[in-house]
Amino acid sequence: MESFISLAIALLIAPLFPGIILKVKALFAGKKGPPLLIKYFTLAKLLRKGSVYSTSTTFVFLLGPIVACAAAVMALLFFPFAGVPPLLSFQGDVIVLFYILGVGRFFTIAAALDTASPFEGMGAAREAFFSTLAEATIFVVLIFFYRLNGSLSLATYFFGSQAISLAGPHGALLLLVIVSLFMILLTENSRVPVDDPATHLELTMIHEVMILDHSGPDLALIELGSFYKLFFYAAFISCLIKPLTLTDPVANTLLFYGLMTVVYVAIGVTESITARLKMNLVPKYILTSFALGFFALILTLELV
Amino acid sequence: MDILFTAVSLVLLAGVLPLLSYRWFRFFKTVHITALTAGCLTGLYGLYTVWQQQDVPLFSYPWLHAFTLSFSLDSLSTVFLLPVFLVSPLIALYGYHYLNKAEDCWRVAVSHFFFSLLIVAMILVTLAANMVTFALAWELMSLSSYFLVMYDYEKEETQAADYLYLLFTQTGALCIFAAFAVISTSTGSLSFAQIEQIPHGIKLVAFFLAFIGFGSKAGIFPLHIWLPHAHPAAPSHVSALLSGVMIKMGIYGILRMYLLLDDPTPIFPQTVLVCGMVTGVLGVVYALGKRDLKRLLAYSSIENIGVILIGAGLGMLGISSGNRIMAAFGFAGCLLHVFNHALFKPLLFMGAGVILHKTGTRHIDQLGGLMKTLPVTGRTFLTGSVAISGLPPLNGFISEFLIYYAAFLGLGLQGSSFLLSMFAIISLAIIGGLAAGCFTKVVGLVFLGEARSKKGQNLVESGRTMQAAMILLALACLLIGIWPEPLIHLAFCGLRDFIPLAGVSPVVLGDIPHNLTLTARLFLGLLLVTAALRHLLYRSKPISRSSTWGCGFSQPTSRMQYTGTSYAMSMVDFFRPFVKVRTEYSGISKIFPRWTGYAHKIEDIAEIALHRALVRPLLWALGKLRWIQHGHIQLYIGYIILTIAVLLLVV
Repeated sequence: MESFISLAIALLIAPLFPGIILKVKALFAGKKGPPLLIKYFTLAKLLRKGSVYSTSTTFVFLLGPIVACAAAVMALLFFPFAGVPPLLSFQGDVIVLFYILGVGRFFTIAAALDTASPFEGMGAAREAFFSTLAEATIFVVLIFFYRLNGSLSLATYFFGSQAISLAGPHGALLLLVIVSLFMILLTENSRVPVDDPATHLELTMIHEVMILDHSGPDLALIELGSFYKLFFYAAFISCLIKPLTLTDPVANTLLFYGLMTVVYVAIGVTESITARLKMNLVPKYILTSFALGFFALILTLELV
Repeated sequence: MDILFTAVSLVLLAGVLPLLSYRWFRFFKTVHITALTAGCLTGLYGLYTVWQQQDVPLFSYPWLHAFTLSFSLDSLSTVFLLPVFLVSPLIALYGYHYLNKAEDCWRVAVSHFFFSLLIVAMILVTLAANMVTFALAWELMSLSSYFLVMYDYEKEETQAADYLYLLFTQTGALCIFAAFAVISTSTGSLSFAQIEQIPHGIKLVAFFLAFIGFGSKAGIFPLHIWLPHAHPAAPSHVSALLSGVMIKMGIYGILRMYLLLDDPTPIFPQTVLVCGMVTGVLGVVYALGKRDLKRLLAYSSIENIGVILIGAGLGMLGISSGNRIMAAFGFAGCLLHVFNHALFKPLLFMGAGVILHKTGTRHIDQLGGLMKTLPVTGRTFLTGSVAISGLPPLNGFISEFLIYYAAFLGLGLQGSSFLLSMFAIISLAIIGGLAAGCFTKVVGLVFLGEARSKKGQNLVESGRTMQAAMILLALACLLIGIWPEPLIHLAFCGLRDFIPLAGVSPVVLGDIPHNLTLTARLFLGLLLVTAALRHLLYRSKPISRSSTWGCGFSQPTSRMQYTGTSYAMSMVDFFRPFVKVRTEYSGISKIFPRWTGYAHKIEDIAEIALHRALVRPLLWALGKLRWIQHGHIQLYIGYIILTIAVLLLVV
């Protein structure tokens, strides 16, 4: 029951957090910024609308939003929010989870190519390339966790005597991994410096250009999926930086969402103070995250 | 065992009958499929009965007084026979409408004959229980597949490709026979028994010779060169059979040799793993870069062979280090991937065959928008693409998951084993990502969007049998994806006659298949719920159709779509210098530029290296000996007599 409640809270609250990013960015720019609940308003607006479909598209175009959203929700099923055991958990679930996110990507790309638009094809090619590199980093991080914790399951990463935490004995190594994961968070969720969700030029976009032709509830599903995906990565990082686990479940939940806010603020700050990278520098950026993770992994050789 | 030989005779009959009745075109095709299916079903029944018993049936038969032909059916043979019996009838069914030129009836009949012969040969290879039998079956397999590829024999491209295939397969066979010779001089017999007692050094020599030989059949980098040439040359259903089933015989050979040698040295797993990683990553990178659809699929087969080898290598590593669970997962992943690949690769080749039939081109950049005109092909091809990218909830993911799991278990080992397991995980991740990139490219450019040339317009869907075969294979992919438990258990038992799973707790082996099943079904359920939700959200909403948003540009043409070359360019460029990319660009000069051209070509480094290091020096050396060939027949007879005389004197 607890698992259901925590999942429900997560599903409901996820669209709130991107509002925080916008608020932080507005603060940096000296503006008032949109209201915190802006994303809920956007979703409600989209859900009221109808859609225009391109004459080039087939059913694959309709599958894109459905699969992307379902994959992101599926990823959240495995996540132990605020220390509550998740609905699903078994040895190896992390592999399944990242591959399910991969299915979402596969269909997003396919839907983009279905529109016959050169811009969307361009975005799709970038997405396919960058996510491949990001996947390598993610698996390095998983290898690192396996070395520390001996498990392959999200739930057991953060529980038990060998829980992975910044406050634990391997905190110093974890710092490298957290930075690496944060870089992957920015890459996988198309944030600055890899992609700019607020840019206005189709040629320079990655994720936004792939969904140019979606509208109405379809677009709402995509947006919701991307909120959940970002929420998942942010929750991953906030679990790693969590200093302690409180016994009271309510306090624990509050602590978790407090840390989540910290992560989102960090994203906002990063977006405000860094410029967007040139497209040919993005692979180097992702490989830097790979190198950080790999370095941490090499250092674990000393531990065992 | 008798049931299996009945199956073999039925399959052979399915090949001979078309030859006898080649004038009745439809009749002999129907007879072929019926007999073949009957044979394969009998074979499956035979496998089932043997699988229920614990002991391994043996059968031997004296031949030419000097040799014995002996056959046995153990668990490894069973696992490799399963795809042969299951997939071959479907491929034959597809062939019914694929080979539809009644004026070529003799050629089609001959092709049917070799098709059956190849299946018989593959069955015999897996059943062979001594060296002579194995060698004969192996050669039968190589030659029948050679003749199958030769279907369009008047085309020069086919001749060249097939000659290359023959060269590779015969050189490979030479290495395998050399390995057998090395072993049999040590044991003094031609049987597979007591091979594990030969000295360690000889084992090493034999294994590496066999690895090269079997590797050239399987398509291990850099011995894969024949694959991307032979597949485009062969008819599509032949490509499906070769790629889906036959190249796995190479994997079978490697596993069989490893099990026979039974040596826990870490060199074997290390070699297999490193080769697997290189083959996997480079295979998929080249696949990405190719524009010829069938060539791309051939490279993708090479990639999958890499994945299979990674699984096998991890299993062997588990044996070497005494980690039974890791061995079980590695080998199970390897065997299951063999099976899965035998389902989705034929499916994809069949799709490519339909496209080739209907549009007359294999060039990805000239196709597009086929999903609208070829709905069945498009949907099944999409299913196959998701499956081959190793994504849930389809079958490719299940086997890749098992291999991942073995690799993660290997992280607990020390030293080089740890490093290899780590690199195996990273390369699997990269292969997975690139494979998804590669197949989004194929699906996206060939089936989605708009037709890029006139060839892709106004098509009608292919014949019924072709559609049926593709639908059945796609359903099989989905079925295994959401109900993998029986097959995972079968794969775990694949090596039960060699490596007992006694030390492994059944909880571990039972838990994972159960959880995978649960997740796959849950994901499918969630997809359906989301789809239903979307349907609800769109109730009574205005929906209209219009042209694609071209960023304000109102006169788009289909030529403006993104091409496959540009789609893959950045990914392929990343892997330089392992991939040779040749671009020719004449540049734009003057104020009013006239003609300009741009060409982009991706060349296989293994091919270049082979050409430089072997072919060119060899041609040069042989050129020096050209004077021997002068055309005087009496001198040629003289050569023969001289050779015999020298041999008689010396040997």
